[in-house]
Amino acid sequence: MANYLLRRILLGVVTLTVITFIVYGLARSMPGNPLTVQLGESDPSRKLNAEDQQRMLEIYGLDKPWPVGYMQWIGKVVRGDLGRSITRKQPVTELIGERIGPTVIISGTALLLTWLLAIPLGLYASARGGCVDERVTGLVLYALYSFPTFVAALFLQIIFAVWLRDTPWELPLFGMSDLPSDAPLLLRIKDVAWHAVLPVVCQTYVVLAYNSRFIKSNLEEVIRQDYIRTARAKGAGPYRVLIIHAFRNTLIPLVTLLGLSLPALVGGSVIIEQIFTWPGMGRLFFESIRERDYPTIMGLTFMFSLLTLLGQLLADILYGFVDPRVRME
Amino acid sequence: MEGDNQEQISPSQGFWAESWKHYRRNPVGIIALSFVVFLTTVAIFAPAIAGTKPVVCYYKNQLYMPCLGYFNRSLESPIFTKDKFRGTYPKNLQEKDPNSWAVWPIIFQDPYRRVRENEWPGRPANPSRDQGHPNLYNLFGTDQYGVDIFAKMVHGTTIALLVGFVSMGIAGSVGIFIGAIGGYFGGWVDSLTSRLTEVVLCIPTLVLILAIIAVVEKPTIWKTMAIIGATGWTGIARLTRAEFLRLKQTEFVMAARASGAGPIRIMFAHILPNALAPVLVPITFGIASAILVEGALSFLGFGPPPPTASWGSVLNSARSNLQLWWLVVFPGLGIFLTVLSYNLVGEAIQDATDPRLREAKK
Repeated sequence: MANYLLRRILLGVVTLTVITFIVYGLARSMPGNPLTVQLGESDPSRKLNAEDQQRMLEIYGLDKPWPVGYMQWIGKVVRGDLGRSITRKQPVTELIGERIGPTVIISGTALLLTWLLAIPLGLYASARGGCVDERVTGLVLYALYSFPTFVAALFLQIIFAVWLRDTPWELPLFGMSDLPSDAPLLLRIKDVAWHAVLPVVCQTYVVLAYNSRFIKSNLEEVIRQDYIRTARAKGAGPYRVLIIHAFRNTLIPLVTLLGLSLPALVGGSVIIEQIFTWPGMGRLFFESIRERDYPTIMGLTFMFSLLTLLGQLLADILYGFVDPRVRME
Repeated sequence: MEGDNQEQISPSQGFWAESWKHYRRNPVGIIALSFVVFLTTVAIFAPAIAGTKPVVCYYKNQLYMPCLGYFNRSLESPIFTKDKFRGTYPKNLQEKDPNSWAVWPIIFQDPYRRVRENEWPGRPANPSRDQGHPNLYNLFGTDQYGVDIFAKMVHGTTIALLVGFVSMGIAGSVGIFIGAIGGYFGGWVDSLTSRLTEVVLCIPTLVLILAIIAVVEKPTIWKTMAIIGATGWTGIARLTRAEFLRLKQTEFVMAARASGAGPIRIMFAHILPNALAPVLVPITFGIASAILVEGALSFLGFGPPPPTASWGSVLNSARSNLQLWWLVVFPGLGIFLTVLSYNLVGEAIQDATDPRLREAKK
């Protein structure tokens, strides 16, 4: 086990280095740099002259070729320093700390909702497999799975923020909160929750449709096994068979799926956060690419890739726990 | 089922004929496939369905097809530029050659510009700003600049399908190649390709694409397709690798090797045809997801530059004009139905080609 872990971690470090190297190279090859993009867009007269620009680039260490810049960046990361954002004049870790809360509000709620709904839906679908009502729900779920989030978000915005304006059903169009930060805590929580409804719905439905189908197809696989026939033969009722005998054995792939959803929990969704102007990680990523804010791009990439790799590792280890037949080698 | 006994007696059909027989029995799959065929027809004949350039016209004793100009500027005969048509055909044709005649597209509307008053005799100009509700002349309404949405949708079909096919063509070739050499050769080649796949898989797709688009100066729809293809091959590579790992152990591969076939020949002439059916499924799903990604990119404003009529760019223009619901509903449904039908086709192919699933359904 220790041997296995060590090898996985070493491989992970290599993968992580390659990923960050590629993304750093890409980021630095984008036309423009944080100074020109930011100042030139807001006010042409404030464009830096060549000398000042050169001086600033030297301060940020951007005057050297990018492989050198990458070595400096990774040298700092090894010492636990993700650097400072150039456009926001703030340490990247602090920036991530600010944005991670809002993202988890959305993605955490969405994750919880998907699992709470997907398991009963999957069980229901395989219990009623082949019946008309199951086929209809199946098709609806499949349709939902193919429904693009950005279209759904626009539909929901039109319905709840335009058509239902000035009714009790009106929901806020974007942003996280309209209240000043000194408002009473309960009111603020209510306000944020109100703003979070539409983004949470958008983030939930696709994953829900996918997961419930996943659970159903796994259950169908299990139900064909001999021990299910045995359980039926000894007189266990249909629900007992499904929940006690069959479902437990579908937990293995579910655990993998749970592990793989770890990065999305923290990384957030670029599209949803962009549409609802939600101040989370996905939006930060989008903005930092636009601003050419290399330290932030790299900090986020690093964190996201690390979580993806950790999620895979976690899934594999949990796999061994729930299925004693799996040996770590 | 009754037919099963006969199936076993009759001489065995080829794999694809057999699969098609099973596919045909799946009503949802057939509906989805019909829709894909319908979309393809719309995509190919887009300029004949909606446009302001004649499909065929007879002008100064010669036949022309100006509508091809929608596919590529250079296909529109230079004579119309020389005679100063400036894109408006109906009046100019009459004025400059009274003997001319023309076959017009079914809907006289343009995906790239506003149709002006009396451009087609007796027809009003397209409404603009928030006045463009769907009406008799503009079936799906117009956007804030007065450009017809129906025409945009029709011409957007061409782009959506092209995106699907071209990017999955690239992703499929790259994925199959990387998966094949990894699975067949094993050893260090396999570790290298597996690592490469993992690296691409770990970088968030949208971020990777956004970064590459920023690097590529002057984005065009073709570059977008290439980028989507270059980032979307991981799933295909993994599946191909698994199939090759399984198949290289079989007798027919050993027989091929014994008869002196080289590795390239074994990989692509012997193993690949047998691995194609499972690989076809993620490719079909990939077409759906490529269309989705292009929609998302255009929606975020990172798509091809404005004169391109893609569904996502119509949605993008709806973002700042939410009260114009028709800017959301029609392209939204377009993307949704296209993605849904490709997914359903993929699902049906999976059901029809996987003997294990086929047994289970009986």
